[in-house]
Amino acid sequence: MNVCDEQSSNILLYLDNELSGQELEDFRAHLAGCPACKAQLAEENELSALLHRARPLYSAPEELRARVSATQQVPLFGSASERLRKRVVRLLKMPLGGIQSPASPLRALAAVLLIVAGVFLLSRFDRHARATAYVDAALATHRSYLDGALPLEIRSDSPQTVTSWFAGKVPFDFRLPASQSLPDDGQAAYRQVGARLVSFRGSYAALVTYAMKKDQISLLVASTNSAPSFGGQEIRSGALTFHCHSKAGFNVITWSNHGLTYALVSPEHSSARQSCLVCHQNMADKNNFQEQ
Amino acid sequence: MSLKGDSAVDVEVAGIEHIDGLYSYAVVLTRNRSEAEDLVQETYVRAIGAMGRLRAGSNVKSWMFTILRNIWLNQLRRQRVAQFVEIDGEESTTEIAETGKNPYEMYVSRMETEQVREAIRQLPVEFREIILLREFEELSYQEIATILDCPAGTVMSRLSRARAKLRTLLSPTLIASDSDRKEVSE
Repeated sequence: MNVCDEQSSNILLYLDNELSGQELEDFRAHLAGCPACKAQLAEENELSALLHRARPLYSAPEELRARVSATQQVPLFGSASERLRKRVVRLLKMPLGGIQSPASPLRALAAVLLIVAGVFLLSRFDRHARATAYVDAALATHRSYLDGALPLEIRSDSPQTVTSWFAGKVPFDFRLPASQSLPDDGQAAYRQVGARLVSFRGSYAALVTYAMKKDQISLLVASTNSAPSFGGQEIRSGALTFHCHSKAGFNVITWSNHGLTYALVSPEHSSARQSCLVCHQNMADKNNFQEQ
Repeated sequence: MSLKGDSAVDVEVAGIEHIDGLYSYAVVLTRNRSEAEDLVQETYVRAIGAMGRLRAGSNVKSWMFTILRNIWLNQLRRQRVAQFVEIDGEESTTEIAETGKNPYEMYVSRMETEQVREAIRQLPVEFREIILLREFEELSYQEIATILDCPAGTVMSRLSRARAKLRTLLSPTLIASDSDRKEVSE
């Protein structure tokens, strides 16, 4: 087996994100100088893209959804906050003997206050953890896209075409951000390149990519239920609040609107406001961004 | 104070986000939509029954796919006629919601999806399921190995053979979509 044969067997592993560390570095180095492996990777990418365009392979009929929902009258997979809430329920339902004693009302009130505070803090922590996970997912997706591991499933500079393509593919009503007002000087700051589906929290999210003069940026779209926007530096623009995070050389800006949460990943700029202006620098609303 | 009502309101229907994936897996295994529906419903019922044994931080998606596969295997053992299961004739009618697409896009998308389904249908069951788990559900090799109860190395080799076979079956579609793209770019 020559070196190329050996690396050739890594093509699927690379495509499936199963290579890491030195193996990944070695393969990338080999790929850069091996037209045969590049061609094979392109073929595999093409097959994957075709299969991904057919997702979901089958959609569960509405009747089945209704039947499944009917069987689920009780919560199933509790998060930490859900488990705590159940404990609170149990605690509050317990026949606390102390409640009947003269000194108990204050203790009971203190206990309730502590529990309420605990639930509030845990709920906030849970929201923060899910928001952080979304930021990390957006960043990882963007890097995979830049590495060529996430080929686009549709290439189009038309927002309408991409919106139509996502219809029925993602478990939410896909919409691109509404603030894409026309540039005030007629020159778009960026160009839409295309889109694809990506996995997120056991379901699908939408990835839309854009190209600027030198940079590539990506937009991950998921439902707010699975991906809240929270934390980071806050910037207000009209009714929207943008949450700006800087990580690993990138700016990730998240915001929620009408049940969807968007995560925009762009190369790191000097401030969060500048990062917002990645898209809005030529737009009429460019002065609407105020750092908090 | 109605605590029951409060807790029920903000708890999502458990695992419902996996229903399309589970249903696809069930159709791929059984090649019969009616049986697939029963299989998925039974999976959710079993999942509720087993919720107490699920450890915190468990991979719920893999767990549910494993439950579905185990139910199917048990049914196969009982029926002993699994290899003669009829392919449901209604499978060729696509039910994918495609609102918002123009007629040509809908036509192309449906044709392509149907060709993919048909190609997958022609694969042996061990290839069908591994393609579904990897390419459609994007599970990792280790997650697939857990579901299939086999070593990760087996997943790699089986997936490689399954993709090779599928590429052959889909080669006309791949050529057509490639030429479509070239026409668009020209």
